[in-house]
Amino acid sequence: MTTEAFTTAFGSLTLVQREAVLVGDGSVLVLAGPGSGKTQVLTCRIAKLLADSADESFKVLALTFTDKAAREMLTRVQTFVPGQEERTSVGTIHSFCAQVLRQHGIHLGLKPDFTIFSQDRDRQLLLEEGLQETARTEQEISTDHVRFLPIIDKLKVRLIDPASAAERLTKARLTEAALIARVYQIYEAQLRRENALDFNSLIFETYVLFSQFPAIAKFVRRVYRYWLLDEFQDTTDGQYRLIKAMAGESFKNVFVVADDDQIIYQWNGASFRQIQKFTTEFEPKVIQLTENWRCPPGIVEAANRLVAYNSQRTTSKMPLVSGKTELSLPAEDHIRLMPFDDDAAEVKGIAEDIAKRPTPDRSRVAVLARTRSLLEKICAGLVAKRVSAVILQRRNEFLTPQFRWLAAFLKQAIRPLDKRNLPLLVESFNRMTGQQVHSELVTARAESSGRSYLEEWIGLVVAATPAGPFAALLETARGIIGDLSGFRSLTEEMVDYAEHESLENSEALDLQEDLAAWKEISKDIGRHVGSTCTLDQFLQELELRSKEPTPPRDAVTLMTIHGAKGREFDFVYVVGLAEDTLPSFQAKKVGDASPEMEEERRNCFVAITRTKEQLILSWAAKYRGYIKQPSRFLREMGFVP
Amino acid sequence: MKITRISISNFRSIKNAEVTLDDVTVFVGANNVGKTAIIDALRIALTRRWGMRGTGFQEYDVHLPSEASDPKTEPPVSIHIETAEAVKDEWPDELIQDLESVLYLDPVSEKHSINLRVTCKWDENEGKFVPTWEWLNTARQALSGKSAKQTNLDRFWQYLPVFYLGALRDADDEFSPRSQFWGRLLKAVQIPPKTEKQVVRVLGVINKRLLKADPMLDDISKTLGSMTKVASVASTGGADLRLLPLKPWDILSEAKVIARNETATPWLPLENHGQGLQSLSVLFLFRAFVTHLLAELYEPYSTPVLALEEPEAHLHPQAARALWDHILSMPGQKVLTTHSPYFVQRVPFRWLRIVRLGDSGTTVRWLKESFSISVPANKALAAIVKKYPAKLSFDTSSSVLKVSGALEENQYRDLLTCYGEHPSRVDATAALKRLAEESALFVSDSDLQSLETFAKRIRGEIFFARSWVLLEGQSEFLLFHALCKASKLNLDAAGIAVIDAVNNGYPPVFASLARALGFPWIAVFDGDNAGNTYIQGIATRGFSAAEVNARCRQLKEKNLEHQLIADGLENVLRKILVDMGDSDAATAPKDELIKKLTKEKTRYASVLGELVIADPQVAAKLPKSYHDVIAELPKLK
Repeated sequence: MTTEAFTTAFGSLTLVQREAVLVGDGSVLVLAGPGSGKTQVLTCRIAKLLADSADESFKVLALTFTDKAAREMLTRVQTFVPGQEERTSVGTIHSFCAQVLRQHGIHLGLKPDFTIFSQDRDRQLLLEEGLQETARTEQEISTDHVRFLPIIDKLKVRLIDPASAAERLTKARLTEAALIARVYQIYEAQLRRENALDFNSLIFETYVLFSQFPAIAKFVRRVYRYWLLDEFQDTTDGQYRLIKAMAGESFKNVFVVADDDQIIYQWNGASFRQIQKFTTEFEPKVIQLTENWRCPPGIVEAANRLVAYNSQRTTSKMPLVSGKTELSLPAEDHIRLMPFDDDAAEVKGIAEDIAKRPTPDRSRVAVLARTRSLLEKICAGLVAKRVSAVILQRRNEFLTPQFRWLAAFLKQAIRPLDKRNLPLLVESFNRMTGQQVHSELVTARAESSGRSYLEEWIGLVVAATPAGPFAALLETARGIIGDLSGFRSLTEEMVDYAEHESLENSEALDLQEDLAAWKEISKDIGRHVGSTCTLDQFLQELELRSKEPTPPRDAVTLMTIHGAKGREFDFVYVVGLAEDTLPSFQAKKVGDASPEMEEERRNCFVAITRTKEQLILSWAAKYRGYIKQPSRFLREMGFVP
Repeated sequence: MKITRISISNFRSIKNAEVTLDDVTVFVGANNVGKTAIIDALRIALTRRWGMRGTGFQEYDVHLPSEASDPKTEPPVSIHIETAEAVKDEWPDELIQDLESVLYLDPVSEKHSINLRVTCKWDENEGKFVPTWEWLNTARQALSGKSAKQTNLDRFWQYLPVFYLGALRDADDEFSPRSQFWGRLLKAVQIPPKTEKQVVRVLGVINKRLLKADPMLDDISKTLGSMTKVASVASTGGADLRLLPLKPWDILSEAKVIARNETATPWLPLENHGQGLQSLSVLFLFRAFVTHLLAELYEPYSTPVLALEEPEAHLHPQAARALWDHILSMPGQKVLTTHSPYFVQRVPFRWLRIVRLGDSGTTVRWLKESFSISVPANKALAAIVKKYPAKLSFDTSSSVLKVSGALEENQYRDLLTCYGEHPSRVDATAALKRLAEESALFVSDSDLQSLETFAKRIRGEIFFARSWVLLEGQSEFLLFHALCKASKLNLDAAGIAVIDAVNNGYPPVFASLARALGFPWIAVFDGDNAGNTYIQGIATRGFSAAEVNARCRQLKEKNLEHQLIADGLENVLRKILVDMGDSDAATAPKDELIKKLTKEKTRYASVLGELVIADPQVAAKLPKSYHDVIAELPKLK
């Protein structure tokens, strides 16, 4: 039972797109260029699979790259086949793994209420604690070894467990291989002791679960008869192996959407090899979506010219074809080039250009750069011109002491023995209220009284807090220590308080952002888990989510090219198109034909193909006082000789 | 899908009780021991109508250890329901897909299970008892995330609908158009539009004809018709006198069941029949409901759970016995309580649950097939489990070691070696000891088989007793009864069942049965070889020497007749035989006399029994072991 919305959506698809929607059992690789309508294809396919099997109970699994993409997809499926969306699971691979581990992790000794550590500081403290303890009995271990954490992360991404780490590191000719392996072991033991996982463990542990207990992978296949994987080009080797372990030998109903020209997470393990492996191991039917519905024809041509310089891509890949017919600007305005004398002039010039646009148009503007530093300058330039602007970036933590305290308090309430979280709780409250409580004092008192840290701390601050909103917050907070089920009374009170504060004080921008982010996240968790969500689930979900709010209306969006993945805007400024910036200095150093240089080129490809109406390319002759040549990509695209 | 286990804590008379459920489970026990509490726990936990009057938990549902206890501060009511696959692939894909987020999968056996825990405690803020539902893994940790969504509960209930029929089943209520089965059946009746049209037309014609039959009716109709002229201004309305229903539904809702017992008796509505037939009719109504409507109202793979109290209510003995076959053939899982020994006679031993009320609340005993403990995993244990694959199994996720049947001595010793140096050696060893002891309660299928043939003859009432006395044969039975009467011990009031165990099977099996089901027992056997064999038989069933000594008595002489003569009743017995018409008995030599007595065992015993009741001097001369047993019975444990 599909709706009219579906009929309209399906009716507007091209023949090739329809083929992708309707293809039956078996594996499929859809090579989808930018703006080729892949989201519509994915959602229509899910809707069709569900509608055609309305009296069956199997489910459809869709894995996306971001939560935002998952939300959009789910909302669209809801409008296409209302009532059937219960039969889908749409989310990021990390959130899918978290659910699998909550349900089946017991076989690996994981309790369902595990904590997710998303912040490096937490992880470092955790490792440090383990190192400190081990150092008492093992001479060669010291807390300095916390510096190995990045290497450990790389091992985990590659699904190398502590037992085989030493051998692999030795092969890679790393000195201290045995030591690193030991530290890795300590780190993993610490995580398990705390019933905690980091982001890499989500993938790793799920992989281990499926490999050790094939029956669980079989169970997933039995429940989810069709899988759809979006942005497959950015799958890491570890993620690919997880998918393969889940599919086992014979499962083929895997529908993959990828564009090897848009791989921009090579540094994180993404590689066109995953697409190759998928092609050999799943033998998919290949469907190419080459028609671009997003960009003006000039941009499509430039993109084709640019990417032809890359060699690491699917050989049979066809060039993009422009399909967009309705354009609001004349052809000569589709691409504008803006060279400047130096970086200061570029910042000023771009800011002025944007400021000239009417206010309602500004939310349709995006400024993209290879790195964040240039964005910060342009953001400052825009703010100086009284143009509202936001740099979008994944935020792992709240900005204000208010919301940091709220999160820390809730964590402490559920894990009363957590010593690492305590300073965070104490400091954020100090900053919020101007008090001077020391966390060491709280620890010492708790150890002598036998009461919990939280009770001791509350005792201390209540005495020092005069009547008012903070005292009221503390009163509510105290109430939930014994009864976690009432935790929402505290979050609601904090929201009320923050709303009141931000009305009183319009300068409290950070608080407004945190408040908006908190509300969005709470709403989303409610949708995801239901209104009866317990505190431990709430915290798990909170950790998985980025803490930045949707930008306000009328604001210009500034983002790195990586952040712009999957997005589209009417007016796109790609700035800093100079050698050593885009392409980066590091890529140049490795060589003009290196995989790194190809990734830089794809960065540029992704950046320009975000455009719906107008693309502005800018560069300066001098950056930080050094003379720089215009980017080679400008030449390759045919914009400069 | 069916319910395999229910654990109840702090609910009414139940402090802590756990019981496994079979296809049919029959709870047996005295009044007020907690049978209904078990059924209610099941019903409340699996019923969707929370918050309506008479549903959900209330203040009175909280177990109160003493009179002064406050239900608001006592530990919460907790009910844990497990449903598990008995064999791999028992559950269909549809069910697995639909309930996937609350399923637990054992990755080794590949069997699925679902564990639901309902807790209910006083909520100060809401001012009432508030229930929470949680899905658990086998380590009894609550699942979270998607698994905790409220909608999962609705789906689960859809697959396990519980229907309850109380002991008082009134056909009048159950066959009303608003009742749970009858009403829904009637509403599901589909009449083809063509037939409906015809019926409406025919009804109209008959109505008209009836109105014309008496001029008075016609006149009334016209008079009433004029009222609308007064009420409405714009258009002409109308009123008609309707002697017959307007639509087929009106007729259906009045549908009645009529019945007659024999062809010669008149057809009568159900409510004019006796209570027994009324009660029975409701059971068959349920059956019709399940056959016709269950798949439509629920899911194609739903299993109805029928919770039925006293199915035998108001039925005579033969009918109560016959009822069993009907219950057995009913679809779905059945959970019953009964007070009928006739009904119980037909129930397989393993499906019986003996419910008692003790100092620590309600307890349930039954003939378990497997026994479990929790011990830490280690490599040695895994090896031992592998060594006895048919006997032992270990679940790593919950650390539960399970033994099927009784744990053999060599297996026990092997298991003990697993924890030689283990840090939790003391606890593990204690747990293994407990496992060995508990599994010794196992009664094998062949033992039960040996009782099964005779069980039809044993009155099912032994399962309603408080304690058992095992004797060899019928004459012993008669004389023991008489002596009790003479000693003013009312066996019925004391709840003591006397079993002539040799006639009904093999005494050691009764001893095993008594131990497994928790019946205190005591036995008196002959002094001959057979008697020795019974005692040895009991000793080899894992009873300790001390226990055998305490519970088994023997006559000094080789059998009852020798004993009676040795105890000075020779003349009395001679006289009885003479009175019975055997004049030789007066002078026959002793061994001849004993032969004669043995031939007329039950006859002489019943006459002697009467003398025992009438004459204290005769009573005093009955075997000493009988007197001892009677003295001990009241405090037997």
